[in-house]
Amino acid sequence: MIELFYSTSTKVQYITKGLELSKSLFVSSLIIGEANIGKKSLIKSIFPEVPWVDGSDIVNLKQTLSKHNELIISNFELYGDYNINDFHGKRIIAISDATSFPSHIDSLFAFIYTMPSLKERPEDIKYLSEIFVKEAKSIFMTKDILPLDITQIDLTDNIKSLKKAIFEHQAYNTITPDKIEQILYNYFEKELNGNNDYAKYLPIFENPLIMAGLNKFGSQLKLSSILGINRNTLRKKIYELGIN
Amino acid sequence: MNLESIDFKLFVETDNNPFILFDSSGHIIYLNNAAEMLLCYVGTKELYDLALTYAPKTFGHKSTIHSLEYESFSFYSLMVGYETDEQIYLRLYNKPLVQTKISISNESLISTDINTILEANITLFQLESNAAISLFVDQELPLFKLDQNYFSIMLRKALSSFVNSPSLNVVLKLIVGEYILIDDKKHQIIELILKAPERTIDHDGEIKQLANQTHITSSLKSEMIKFQIPLII
Repeated sequence: MIELFYSTSTKVQYITKGLELSKSLFVSSLIIGEANIGKKSLIKSIFPEVPWVDGSDIVNLKQTLSKHNELIISNFELYGDYNINDFHGKRIIAISDATSFPSHIDSLFAFIYTMPSLKERPEDIKYLSEIFVKEAKSIFMTKDILPLDITQIDLTDNIKSLKKAIFEHQAYNTITPDKIEQILYNYFEKELNGNNDYAKYLPIFENPLIMAGLNKFGSQLKLSSILGINRNTLRKKIYELGIN
Repeated sequence: MNLESIDFKLFVETDNNPFILFDSSGHIIYLNNAAEMLLCYVGTKELYDLALTYAPKTFGHKSTIHSLEYESFSFYSLMVGYETDEQIYLRLYNKPLVQTKISISNESLISTDINTILEANITLFQLESNAAISLFVDQELPLFKLDQNYFSIMLRKALSSFVNSPSLNVVLKLIVGEYILIDDKKHQIIELILKAPERTIDHDGEIKQLANQTHITSSLKSEMIKFQIPLII
């Protein structure tokens, strides 16, 4: 099966072009960069037929090296036994999350590509967001989704973080009261186990209610009227819950 | 023994060290065979200026240890002398060369389109550099045998030395009328020139070593790298 790889980043397009050109050559390439930035998908999309071995599985790696002239090694940084003779006469495409290697690694690979992280590819954040939103709509069977400020997403785990944030956003915004009840039911059934749990877990209801209300209506006066509680009671709650 | 009967000119003529005799205006009065070859790569004026710079203060002869590089010519010393105001000579002394005999290993040579390997390397270079690239390449070059991995590593390192340059000129062409002799067999030459206003020299040693391993003649200057690649069919 041919893997699909999405990117509109100029740098990634250069890497793609370089790898495509290297298909007609018998040379080894190393592609490095942070985890979850699309390195594996890119390699799978360009070399769909080449056998794939994990660098941590040394036994399997050595066996596959003896049988094949072409090989993709993922998690290459875990293959500590970087023996030049093992790669002699082979076309190796190595993938690694590590960005530093012993100096002799440089002489093993004709091409060494450094793939930029997602943070360094703003055009890809937008492009991939659109793809994930479409995918999320299809999975959750919804037509519309509340806009998500992608600039606020924590991209520590790159594409994984982006996809997770979009799917969570979609899930939260399509959830019905009965599903919320079900989630809370499951949670409390698992967690209730103390002698003062009513006070302990009450903020789970009150916190989002007051914070969303303040955000939506702007003032405590207006919110107390909306919630149908006394203004002093609301102020006390805000103080107790530590809401700013 | 009558020394006058010995033709000393013949010894100078066939000496591997270039010898040039200038008149007071810088015109060449005499040059030996080695100097004739050298003048294909360096101008008369540059050599005359060199002679004047290192000339002794008064009549006589002066040797100076000084490293000089002109294309594939490397000299470690020069001698300048004059006995009259009319003539001055310059003699350059070749650096000793360590001749390593490397035979062609057919096992590692693969029929290659050099334009593809060059394009792939330029693509990699563009990832790190914003240099404006000007390409003058012969797309009709035939496929020839090359150690693709070694050649590509060498090219990657050569290109990376221009990574901070604002521009890069790349020329790839077949040299007409010149040959490289490997294992007693003549091969035509493909010349690859990389030229830019700025270049780092950190990897020059490795580049030279990789070129040597693949029968490529390399010439590395402050703003240019030139490779002469044997066209092994």
